[in-house]
Amino acid sequence: MKRTVPLMIVMVGGILMIIQYFIPHQISQTIFEYYTDWAPIIVAFALVLGVGSLTRIHSHKIKRRAQNWPYSWAVLIPLYTMPFLAHIWPQSLGGGMDQPSIYHFLFMHIQVPIQATMFSMLAFYIASAAFRAFRAKSALATVLLIAAVIVMLGQVPIGDLLGKWLPSTGLWILRYPNLAAKRAIMLGVGFGMLATNLKIIFGVERNWLGGAGK
Amino acid sequence: MSAVSIWEKMLNIDRRWIFLSIGVVSIVPFFINFGMPVVTTDEVEGIFDYMDELGPENAIFVSFDFAPGTQAENMPMAIGVIRHALHNNVPVFMTANYPLHHGMMLAAMEYILNPNTIGYYQDVPFDEWSDLRESGIVARDDLEEAWEGQGNQLPEGALGWAFEGRDYAMLGYAPVFNLVILGMTSSIQTQYPVDTHGNPTSEMPMLQEHKNLREVDMALSCSGSAACVWWVTYAREKIGLPIAFGVTAVMATDYFPYIQTGQVIGQMGGLRGAAEYEVLLAENGITPSTDKAFTGMDVQSAAHILIILFIIMGNIAYFAGGFHKQKTLKGRG
Repeated sequence: MKRTVPLMIVMVGGILMIIQYFIPHQISQTIFEYYTDWAPIIVAFALVLGVGSLTRIHSHKIKRRAQNWPYSWAVLIPLYTMPFLAHIWPQSLGGGMDQPSIYHFLFMHIQVPIQATMFSMLAFYIASAAFRAFRAKSALATVLLIAAVIVMLGQVPIGDLLGKWLPSTGLWILRYPNLAAKRAIMLGVGFGMLATNLKIIFGVERNWLGGAGK
Repeated sequence: MSAVSIWEKMLNIDRRWIFLSIGVVSIVPFFINFGMPVVTTDEVEGIFDYMDELGPENAIFVSFDFAPGTQAENMPMAIGVIRHALHNNVPVFMTANYPLHHGMMLAAMEYILNPNTIGYYQDVPFDEWSDLRESGIVARDDLEEAWEGQGNQLPEGALGWAFEGRDYAMLGYAPVFNLVILGMTSSIQTQYPVDTHGNPTSEMPMLQEHKNLREVDMALSCSGSAACVWWVTYAREKIGLPIAFGVTAVMATDYFPYIQTGQVIGQMGGLRGAAEYEVLLAENGITPSTDKAFTGMDVQSAAHILIILFIIMGNIAYFAGGFHKQKTLKGRG
């Protein structure tokens, strides 16, 4: 029963959603609207589950003094502080454009710089990796290296100054060889997704059930 | 010292020297403005030309689908297109597909409406023009005339008025955003009964004129993730909404197939794409000058040249030192 009911729900739901997409009838439209109304509500429950699970895992780590347990405080404190502050000063949900709030301050002066710093560090590591790993070891590696250099130069104004052929060759690489490769990958992924979805809808693939009903 | 040891020493250079040199070339161009010309591409011109054709009877969506990590690239794209829309009085709906991205939307508008920004727009909050709305003055030209008729003067330096609810609506974040897009194909108001500031969207003239995505003319997804594809899957393919992408440089290569098929009308790729849009805005007199993305291109030029130099130096040392003949290379990583 624990396996049959979820499998039936997935099968009926999956088939209905496929059919409604291709049949523009009022009934299918109503089903679709029900679905778009219900799904966010169900996801809201998943959010409760997620926060609950995260809290449980990290509070256990703190209690047991597990390895790196102080970092669990770094998860739990912001997890509860931000919503708490947002509800004390509700205008902060509106961004505090005219009324600066603590929520807005923390977002703009902690969250934004942290994320921007993490991402900008990529430049340093890319430079280091390029120096150490980007070698013309074989014919294919040489083609990759030349293509990378042309695209890199073509993407910046100095490429235009070095020669008009640089940006146009860079764009040609992006528009043709890159496009062909990307399309092949996307089609492969697309067919893979289609096959997996059909296997899930028809109950062939059951890993998503976990250990339920065993 | 043998020649080989020089090459080996070069290959095993302390990575902190590489970090330092990248740091220097990233900072110096901010102080010495080279102002190298940025040539525009078809992908960006496609978006600009499409936007330029729109007027007050149209509407667009700008979706903030990026986090602070990629704001250096994505933010100027969103700002450029919103300023273009405000210039042409095209109503702009703004959404975010994630709570963090909501903050980016607020930051963008804070910049556009800030009197310290060169070429800013003077904000008129929703409540401040309620009397005009209640008396039925909602057409864009009539509204501006009536507003100025009440004694309101456009401040010096401002490019125009930005009436909340008429020129822009900050709808913000809503959970399960792919379903929100699907839902908006039927009704925007059902998905967003109130905007970010708590204003009822049903009272907004721009929402009364554009009730769902079928009545909207374009959606720009400024994205640092694959979320931009949701707009193609759920809006373009379902109802034919024209989509434009503003994506990071590393993502840009992924979406050329969408441009070729016509599913996407254009794409701004990375800082370069944003700089191109800024150039088009400035050349067409829509903004008084270029902005942050254009300035950043000098930094990017210098950084790219340095990285290419590193690649060349690495290869010279590798081959000149004869390391290509060895199976393993000692290195400090």
